[in-house]
Amino acid sequence: MLVGLASLVIADAGEASQLAWLGAGLAALSLAVGLVAGSVTAVHTAIALLGTMFLLRHDTRLLLAPPYGAGLLLIDDLAAQTIELRGVSQIGPAVIGARTGAALAVAAISACAAAAAALAVTAAPGRSVTVTALGALAAVAAFAAIVRSARRRYRASDGGEAPGAPSPAAPSGAPTSPAE
Amino acid sequence: MLALAAAGLIAALASGRPELALLSLPFLVFAGAGLILAQEPHLAAEVELDRTRLLEGETVVATVWVRNDGQDRVEVELAPVRSRYLTLEPAGVVAVDLPAGAEARVAFAAHPRRWGAHAVGPLVVHARDPLGVTTWEGRLGRRLHLRAFPREQRLRELVAPVRTRPFLGTHVARARGEGIEFADIRPFQVGDRVRQINWRATARRGAPQVNERHPEHSSDVVLLLDTFEEARDQAGGTLDAAVRAAAGLARAHLARRDRVGLVDFGGTLHWLEPAIGTTQLYRIIDALLASDIAFSYAWRNVDSIPLRVLPPGALVLAISPLLDERSTALVTDLRSRGCDLTVIEVSPLDHIAPGPSAADAVAYELWRLQREALRARLQSLGIGVAVWGRDGTLGPALEGVNAFRRSAQHAVRV
Repeated sequence: MLVGLASLVIADAGEASQLAWLGAGLAALSLAVGLVAGSVTAVHTAIALLGTMFLLRHDTRLLLAPPYGAGLLLIDDLAAQTIELRGVSQIGPAVIGARTGAALAVAAISACAAAAAALAVTAAPGRSVTVTALGALAAVAAFAAIVRSARRRYRASDGGEAPGAPSPAAPSGAPTSPAE
Repeated sequence: MLALAAAGLIAALASGRPELALLSLPFLVFAGAGLILAQEPHLAAEVELDRTRLLEGETVVATVWVRNDGQDRVEVELAPVRSRYLTLEPAGVVAVDLPAGAEARVAFAAHPRRWGAHAVGPLVVHARDPLGVTTWEGRLGRRLHLRAFPREQRLRELVAPVRTRPFLGTHVARARGEGIEFADIRPFQVGDRVRQINWRATARRGAPQVNERHPEHSSDVVLLLDTFEEARDQAGGTLDAAVRAAAGLARAHLARRDRVGLVDFGGTLHWLEPAIGTTQLYRIIDALLASDIAFSYAWRNVDSIPLRVLPPGALVLAISPLLDERSTALVTDLRSRGCDLTVIEVSPLDHIAPGPSAADAVAYELWRLQREALRARLQSLGIGVAVWGRDGTLGPALEGVNAFRRSAQHAVRV
């Protein structure tokens, strides 16, 4: 998938193709390091590099960005899943399939949402302070809503926890080694 | 993921390139969807053992079941907490996918690497929402106890006690009385039974002669387990073997109607007063399962042991690797107080290999010679020393001790 995304950029990078090649190589290296060392930061670095490489394309049409972003999301999720399941000695039959299916569905929906946004942006290409401010406000509002939702969920779980239910913790890929 | 989305949005605003915002949008949607879909999991889990008592080397099946009582699918990673010497197969974490209302069962093969009291459970559980955005972790289930009994050696030969108790047993007493073992012939006296008359001796000597016999008595046996120090390698340690020996000796002596007691002499002191019967065997084995090396600087001597635990005339079987000065001092002290004592030396040589250099080899050889000198010193005090190696059986070693105790070199000063 990484090769496919990188080739999309390299094919249309023109004079910056060498830079695109370099970026693709670095992203592949960072992803490999992340997977081998179990480092989520290295995976995120690879994703950020691939995302930045998208700016090297000459074709400035926006319609390719949503599937590209969905591809980045899938790479990130699959890599995170690989890292999380590294210490697992036995994996149930539906574990990988269920999560990958859910991630694919969300990626498809988000690609559609991004495509709709791209269409909206393309329809009104003029840039103004008002539009930029509105966009910034919308982004901050969405971000704040998600963060608030997360905080509320954690706080609620910390307080009235049902007996026997596991308590929430920060997401972590490191498996527990339970030998006493 | 949120950080990536935020970085993309900020970069898009800063650079004026909407592509970056569009690239970030899937990440934002994913994180939002994950948080919206994530509901607190309602899980129930338990560990079950198909049996709670086994012999060391055997395997018990620990079945873990986990049920999702919530409304959403969760991905669960679970691992039972286990004690140090318990191996679980599959080792590590097991991941299962649980739709709403579903139950999963995972069978772990629990294998105690040595005797002792082990524990399985509770379960360390990590639950993730369907997208893996949120993780819950906690412990579920109870802690179950598993007792692995030591494998005992079948002993035909035991150390014969010098003194016996005047109660029915299987040891041939030195005293003369009613019994089976022939002792001597003496002239008939008033009160002797007619069935005791030795007619051949009477015919030869011309006067009634009767047979004298040794009665079969029981004895008091105290097992002294040295837990000051042990030598250990990957395959096991001297304490493992010492406990096996103690269990085997206790079973064999109790089967011969001896009163058997136990003193766990080390950093901590535990004891069981001598008693007879199957109940005492289980008491001793339970006490042995709890024995462990407890590091301590405390200097203990024979005065630390209660008098009632060491009955007069009891045969004391000290099971020790003879690695700690305090245990050596204890056996010499016991012997100097007139105790009928035998040391079963669980050899640490099998667990310690010499180092790679020539100096290491010399040091190892010196240490081995020191141990031989110590053994000779103990034997000169009249203490029989049975050396028991890892691959050997205890029976022949005890036969050697009996031979030593019968020999002229051994003057039992009891």
